[in-house]
Amino acid sequence: MASEPMSVGSSAQDPPPVPDATSQEPKYGGHTRFELELEFVQALGNPEYVNYLASRKFLQNPAFVAYLDYLQYWTRPPYLQYITYPTSCLKMLELLQVERFRKDILSPNLTHALVTEGMKAAVEWHREG
Amino acid sequence: MDKKLDASFERVEKALAVLIDSMTKFTPSEKAANDVVKAERELFLGLEELEVHQRNVARIKQLKQETEALDAQTKQTISALWEMRKELVAVAPTKFTPAKEEKYPFTTQQLLDYARRISRNTLPPPGVTNGIDLSTAVPTTPDDQAAGGPNASFAASIGGGSGQGTAASTPAPGVQDSFVSQAPSQSQTGATELPVHLKPAVNPLENAPFFTFPTIDRIRSGALAQCQDLVNRGIDPKNYDPEEEERRIKQEEQDRKDAEERARQEREEQDRRMREERERMARERELARQQQQQEGGLGDRRGSILAPGQGGGQPRRSAPKQFTFLDEDDDDEDED
Repeated sequence: MASEPMSVGSSAQDPPPVPDATSQEPKYGGHTRFELELEFVQALGNPEYVNYLASRKFLQNPAFVAYLDYLQYWTRPPYLQYITYPTSCLKMLELLQVERFRKDILSPNLTHALVTEGMKAAVEWHREG
Repeated sequence: MDKKLDASFERVEKALAVLIDSMTKFTPSEKAANDVVKAERELFLGLEELEVHQRNVARIKQLKQETEALDAQTKQTISALWEMRKELVAVAPTKFTPAKEEKYPFTTQQLLDYARRISRNTLPPPGVTNGIDLSTAVPTTPDDQAAGGPNASFAASIGGGSGQGTAASTPAPGVQDSFVSQAPSQSQTGATELPVHLKPAVNPLENAPFFTFPTIDRIRSGALAQCQDLVNRGIDPKNYDPEEEERRIKQEEQDRKDAEERARQEREEQDRRMREERERMARERELARQQQQQEGGLGDRRGSILAPGQGGGQPRRSAPKQFTFLDEDDDDEDED
């Protein structure tokens, strides 16, 4: 939900440590980097949110694109097990690495199609028979 | 071969010429006739040989063609191999993750826990269809039905024992039919069943959408939104913990209350001490007064004893003292 543009020169960071009882991570508004990034990467599963980000020109910001690349650590263990919306979130993270998709998601039609198709697939995937 | 045949022909011709010549001269020679026969036999042998030769040539030709075909095939195979090798070399080798990345072993329990955790976001609750008509189910093939389908085999494996499990999971068709046919009749007669058209009204999940991603409302109430709210209020979220802040404010409040309480206690203590001091002073004065009185009594007595002789002015001096003491008593009363 951050509206401030990010600085292009922000340096790449290592993924945050997996939280445990003894960790003394610095907090941002009461939440660790792990929590915030987990929430963000899952929010990316929502096509409307990605469309919102695209409409605010975030997806054209090289720093943000680098950040999306950095967020791919969520596709690997031990971080993978913390994702509770795996289907849409991981696919969207994969799609967001493609420049064409980052441009196309600006279209409301594509956003709507992603939502409806996602809803359809969620039901049909479990359909028996 | 041609030369050999030519020589045979030549011999036949010569022998024939000799024979004709001898016949034209009316002196037929037996030898010449035998020569012709002999030459002819040789010619036949030569012709047979020629036939064999021709057959061999044909075979050689065929073999040559075969060789060529095989050569072509070999070349093709080799070129295919070459192409394949080139492609193989061109394929980028898989970059194996560095050795520092460990494998993450997990237990079945962890896997099941994860499955349970994600199932509420991946599996729609019963009755939720997202507006898709599920009545047009994919028709099952007879083979599937015969095999019992994947679920049946799963049920059988869950069923436990080999013989028992299969027996329990595949009831006789007649039993199933009777169960199915009973269901509608129950809904008609059963008092607890609602009519079909009222069922959606009591189902809270009717027409409820199911998303496999967090909804916008959820995102708006999340930690990122809280951070954004802090930024909007001009607070840097870094190292700012609202809970910590609240605790700090509470602590300050508590400290303030404690300080007030302490000040109040101190004040009370001071009051108490002053009161005690005053009481003590009053007691002392009282004692002193009593002592004075006693002394005064003695003096009076002494005065009365001494009066006839020496200290005639003494009692007059002690008398005003009594009055001063009385004055002080008055003051005490005023203070109290």
